[in-house]
Amino acid sequence: MGRVRALFSAKAQAQALVHQYIFLLFVQSLNLLGCTVVTSERFFDAGPHPLRPSAIDREAMTRRPTRCPRFLKPQPFAFSAFARSVAQVASTFKHKRQTHNPKFQEKVIPKSSDDRFMKHSLKEEAGTSESSDEEERNEIIKADFAFFDPKSDDFHGVKILLQTYLDNKQWDLSGFVDLVLAQTTVGTVVKLEDADDDGLFSVVTAVNLGRYKDNICIMELKGYLLEVCQEKNVSSKLGLILGKEASNVGLLVSQRVVNLPPQLLPPLYDALFDEVSWAIEDEPTEELRDSFRFKYYLVLTRIYKSANKQKGTSRHYCDEPIIYIKPEDEIFHKLSSWSFSFPLQTQQLAMHELRNYRLTGLVMAVEADKIPTFRKELQSLISEF
Amino acid sequence: MATRLQFENNCDIGVFSKLTNAYCLVAIGGSENFYSTFEAELADAIPVVKTSIGGTRIIGRLCAGNKNGLLLPHTTTDQELQHLRNSIPDQVVVQRIDERLSALGNCIACNDHVALTHTDLDKETEELIADVLGVEVFRQTIAGNILVGSYCAFSNRGGLVHPHTSIEDLDELSTLLQVPLVAGTVNRGSEVIAAGMTVNDWTAFCGSDTTATELSVIESVFKLREAQPNAIVDEMRKSLIDSYV
Repeated sequence: MGRVRALFSAKAQAQALVHQYIFLLFVQSLNLLGCTVVTSERFFDAGPHPLRPSAIDREAMTRRPTRCPRFLKPQPFAFSAFARSVAQVASTFKHKRQTHNPKFQEKVIPKSSDDRFMKHSLKEEAGTSESSDEEERNEIIKADFAFFDPKSDDFHGVKILLQTYLDNKQWDLSGFVDLVLAQTTVGTVVKLEDADDDGLFSVVTAVNLGRYKDNICIMELKGYLLEVCQEKNVSSKLGLILGKEASNVGLLVSQRVVNLPPQLLPPLYDALFDEVSWAIEDEPTEELRDSFRFKYYLVLTRIYKSANKQKGTSRHYCDEPIIYIKPEDEIFHKLSSWSFSFPLQTQQLAMHELRNYRLTGLVMAVEADKIPTFRKELQSLISEF
Repeated sequence: MATRLQFENNCDIGVFSKLTNAYCLVAIGGSENFYSTFEAELADAIPVVKTSIGGTRIIGRLCAGNKNGLLLPHTTTDQELQHLRNSIPDQVVVQRIDERLSALGNCIACNDHVALTHTDLDKETEELIADVLGVEVFRQTIAGNILVGSYCAFSNRGGLVHPHTSIEDLDELSTLLQVPLVAGTVNRGSEVIAAGMTVNDWTAFCGSDTTATELSVIESVFKLREAQPNAIVDEMRKSLIDSYV
């Protein structure tokens, strides 16, 4: 149950209860890949995050150790149940530039200023769910996700999503987050519609490496990429892209909670690339307009690479050489001009199905011309889900 | 003086360290920078001890202590307990307690004289706290939160509490604790005060996201600036200038 607490934090208790069931489903597969979750010792990390369960939730959870094994098992079909339900509302989610009627059904939680009352009501709910695990897995929760421009209030949410962006290197992460949030014309954060707390589920943006080349965070990021690149033939191309060609390169940052419904991905990426093309026309100065004329996109991401060296003849799924954590990475990888992978220093959580795989970092350069192809392929890939 | 630092890109200092007037506990791992910052500030005064509790690094949230004693959860291993007993000064009583709510750092906030505790703590634990830490124990909530250890940080000279604490609560707590209190934030608007900072009577450590405003509030409420010559001069200046001619 340590994992329950692992990622989210909330500012106000009452609001947290509303989302309790949403992220109870989330957390089951949170540790599957742990891209934004740090180790389980963060259980009692009371660091700020918009979706943290309230103090009451946390203590209530500590009283029920029997819930622990359930959370440790990955339960992807719980996710797909959620996804199925969200698919119903996915078509009505609000794009930033459109309006729609929210259909958010709030779980009715009695809001009372009396702590004891809240605690008891929580106990009852948890009690029933404990006895009926099956029901909880099939429970449908409706949620409306909305896309917003980044703003400075999103600092903590975005920071947590980007916590492991450069593995365990100490760098100016806060500066990088500030940079991402300052760029309001290009960039999107995904939050719940009507959410009182600032629970952030995803952040997507494109950062021009030349425009920000004097920022410490960008210099450290470039240094890190050059350091981890072990393949000699690629490192010269990487050096070129980070050096002379930097003003034509956009760093594509896309981080999200592990089980965000994939139906959100095509619109999310469409939003990003549309914003880039709008910015080329709408930005006030010539310099800014040019800074969005990307020729290349640089993507830094993570994959699972098979640790088995043998050329497996068996057709078992776990003999696939690469497992992509994010589905769009597969398309990027296919369309990339070049790419390289590098070992990560942080320990990965050992999961049964992934015992033959090692978490690896992957850097890819994708030409901007390939983006329309990417958008089409992403659309068809997600529609298969 | 308040110092800003990070633990492995994480600004939650109070999670990975525990600072009292007699000793300082620091989590293992991360770069040596974390440990050496504490050493640089504290080495001549008190021992800085590297440890884990129950194999985890979140030691600040699992243990509670002051200059008289240190309370550890039941998850602490024997080796860790022994290591702590050896490293911490002898006059400090190190005790492992059997409490269901094992995150003692979240449940107990204390200085050398008073402790605020979670409302659901066992009676035996409350007595142990009074014995081992030599404090008067009060069951309290802070801005409606029962995890008092998380939402406030106080020393013998001042305290910082959750930003949504009402004025009445602030007065009540201030009377109980007998120290001036201020409602504020740390780490750029984080309400979880004790996770973002750790403090004793003469120094404080905050996460590096802490803004200059937050830092100045911390320095003034915990009276960390008193030793600085500037403060004295500024305070005196008002009384020195009598009249303008």
